[in-house]
Amino acid sequence: VTRLHIPIDSSTLNNGLRVVIAPDTNAPVVTVGVYYKIGFRLEPQGRSGFAHLFEHMMFQGSENAPKMQHIKLINSSGGVLNGSTMYDVTNYYEAVPSNALERVLWLEGDRMRALKVDEENLTNQRDVVKEEVRVNVLNQPYGGFPWLDMPPVAFRNWANAHNFYGDFADLDAASLADVQKFFRTYYVPNNAVLLMLGDVNPQEAQALAEKYFGSIPAGAAPPFADPTEPPQTEERRGHVQEKFGPLPAMAIGYVLPQRRTPEWYAMVLLDQALHGGRAGRIYRELVLEKQIAVEADGGVDDVFGYNGPSQMTTRILHKPEYTAEQSLAALDAVLREVQEKGIGQEELDQLKVKWRSDYYSTLEGGRGGYMPRYGLMHLLACFTLFDNEPLLVNTVLEGFLAVKREEIQAVARKYLRPENRAIVFRTPVNKDAKEAA
Amino acid sequence: MATRAPQTAPAVPALAPERAVTWPKRTRARLSNGLEVVLAEAHSIPKFHGELFFRAGEALVSDRSVGLAEMTSTVLRTGTAKRNSRQIEEDLRRLGADLGTSAGQDTSAISFAGLSEFAEPLLELVNELARDASFPQPEFERERRQKLEEVKLERTSPGFLAGERLRKILFGKHPYARISPTEQQVAAYRREDLEQVYREIYTPENALLVMVGDFDPQNMLGIAEKTFGNWTGKKPAAQQATALPELHGRRVYLVHNPGSVQTQILVGCHAITRKHPDWIRLGLTNSLYGGAFNSRLVMNIREEKGYTYSPRSGISPLRQHGYFFVSAAVRNEVVAASLTEIFYELDKLRSVAVPAAELSDAQNYVTGMFSMGLATQEGLLSQFATVELNELPADYLETYRDKVRALTSADLLGAARKYFDSANMPIVVVGDRAQIEEQARLFGDTEVYNAQGERVE
Repeated sequence: VTRLHIPIDSSTLNNGLRVVIAPDTNAPVVTVGVYYKIGFRLEPQGRSGFAHLFEHMMFQGSENAPKMQHIKLINSSGGVLNGSTMYDVTNYYEAVPSNALERVLWLEGDRMRALKVDEENLTNQRDVVKEEVRVNVLNQPYGGFPWLDMPPVAFRNWANAHNFYGDFADLDAASLADVQKFFRTYYVPNNAVLLMLGDVNPQEAQALAEKYFGSIPAGAAPPFADPTEPPQTEERRGHVQEKFGPLPAMAIGYVLPQRRTPEWYAMVLLDQALHGGRAGRIYRELVLEKQIAVEADGGVDDVFGYNGPSQMTTRILHKPEYTAEQSLAALDAVLREVQEKGIGQEELDQLKVKWRSDYYSTLEGGRGGYMPRYGLMHLLACFTLFDNEPLLVNTVLEGFLAVKREEIQAVARKYLRPENRAIVFRTPVNKDAKEAA
Repeated sequence: MATRAPQTAPAVPALAPERAVTWPKRTRARLSNGLEVVLAEAHSIPKFHGELFFRAGEALVSDRSVGLAEMTSTVLRTGTAKRNSRQIEEDLRRLGADLGTSAGQDTSAISFAGLSEFAEPLLELVNELARDASFPQPEFERERRQKLEEVKLERTSPGFLAGERLRKILFGKHPYARISPTEQQVAAYRREDLEQVYREIYTPENALLVMVGDFDPQNMLGIAEKTFGNWTGKKPAAQQATALPELHGRRVYLVHNPGSVQTQILVGCHAITRKHPDWIRLGLTNSLYGGAFNSRLVMNIREEKGYTYSPRSGISPLRQHGYFFVSAAVRNEVVAASLTEIFYELDKLRSVAVPAAELSDAQNYVTGMFSMGLATQEGLLSQFATVELNELPADYLETYRDKVRALTSADLLGAARKYFDSANMPIVVVGDRAQIEEQARLFGDTEVYNAQGERVE
């Protein structure tokens, strides 16, 4: 396997803003991203959902680009924009024809320098966010399962365990003063990375970064809540009602080893062995062979994109004629087999080929058909903010390809234990009761 | 305001000169057995993407049962004369490949992507699935049971219930009206039905193979000929056209979804196919109405009023007929207010010419988005396939941007008047009846359905 050599320029402006440039002139399109090192995990107590609500506010106007202008300027340049809030980062990104690069940087610079929003904007976006929560969670079968149901069961530290989309009461309590404080605290250049990928000239891109971001003053280093979890000593279980869907569901999450350790590389390949689509052991056993489950999927979500406690999570919807305990026993049998027998050399070889192939695809695409290089952008951003090492995109694959069979069996034994897991049961409510209500 | 350093307002930087948009050269060929092949190089990653399309799907066979073509595609990947289900999945993993099988109304397809170094064995597996699928009885029975659960589950999704109802209204007796089978229909599927569908649809004369990626086209063409060249089979018989129902006036179709905490609105009307000469101007008109974040509908009911998170409009271009739709999930208290705005924006486009600046913004958006597909193998594949499957002109991709740029406000006004038939649009609302019925009835005579799709009033 030849080593990857994606050309990458990285530097730091005087105000602490990291700048990462990855030129590639295949298509006349440039992807720009700004990542801030702030996510769900770090939002203030009593303000659940705030990091995400704040992300919406970043589209509501800045000093020189009032409300509607952000969206209008990007769309009318022939591009798309969006943002997303994750556990440890929040991103804002645009894909545009490359002739719009300077305009995009002006806009991102303007909102990093001076967010300008009012009470009306906040009320408007609070309403929008509530409809987002309804359409994705409250009014959908299995909405938010398990990503919202699991944390309060699995974790004890509020940073990891609260409702990331936000309780409506907390959203209602959020004030303009909170918005301003959050902006001043976390949205400082020294807590961010600017990325430019695709059809750019690195020298020009660097000069533009200096021009539009260089004079934004650095802020105090933001305080970070400690996401450390107290040691877990026994299996944790929780129960949630399913209001719409007809099938009983469960999610089983195992806490992962420390990021970028040999155990972590092995665990990620083990995850592939277990959850790798229709060839994965869990789907094969529960859906194809024993036919207990209708769906059995999951795994490590966004493998490089977190910087605190995280899990490998299996999501199962099983047939009503099986009990939850029977379904769980079937899963346990799959896990026990790996613990007792390990995996074969041929299986490991297959897993590595598939992992390499998937990794290439991650670099090329990653978010819909209209956000080229999202995957590469995301990796570069996380490796910069968490590891201070953007060039890891070219070498991280080697860690996975070096994993040995014994290491996979060892992590299966060490991590796939009841006292390292949490289970959420999501059970359909009684239909007759619902009709009567 | 969280302003830091006071700044004088700089002007928005102008757009730099545009870089040329160049679509990769396509190699088009017909194999000795009649199979059409389109190939293009794209060296972004050491992989390639491919799709083997068959020009028929549910619509061709829906008089036998609903969902048969999809069920055929599902069971297709579970066994061939040479490999069982487990071998197929492990072989894919060995090649670093992904494979999907699917069927829509007008096409069935086997899509695949894998490492270029393993192109030959991956194509051999695709070939086996296309020609020698064995439809093992136990695999068929398992997939049928899975489908039964899926059919029950989809009836709990507001989006599904709205789409199902609108399609029935717009397409009446046409196959496009049937988007999903009933439990009884699924229970009655037989393995022989799938084999019959497979024999009719999956033939080289009916197929199109598109591949894009890190390969040499001549070399890849050689592999394709070697792999697929001796496969034989005819096109299926063409099907008779069915007339669509005529829609008069505004009627409301309320689907009662007990316990709903939000209302899914879906409004629509007949439109056109991609082949129609008005496609490009209708597309631009739609993008201005509700097809972009910056569109009038999104600005109105999301950014100004906060009624909804994800409003949008679009044109679904099925092969025989297209349809226009407007969709929004809104809070229960503002169902009537949202519908009022949806129709207000439609009627405004029908009555007042679009200002020049807004037209030019929309033209930039549509042409820019069209070029985004250039950056990925999948994006390229999708564009090439669209051209071929819809029998669009060979220079469609190269001339599209100029055609969009040539459109005038008068063209858009004409398109809105012709296709946004707001006075005769059916309105579907899915939600809790007690909370929304009064508002819904303001917009027309109302039929009420349950979540099983049965009319209750």
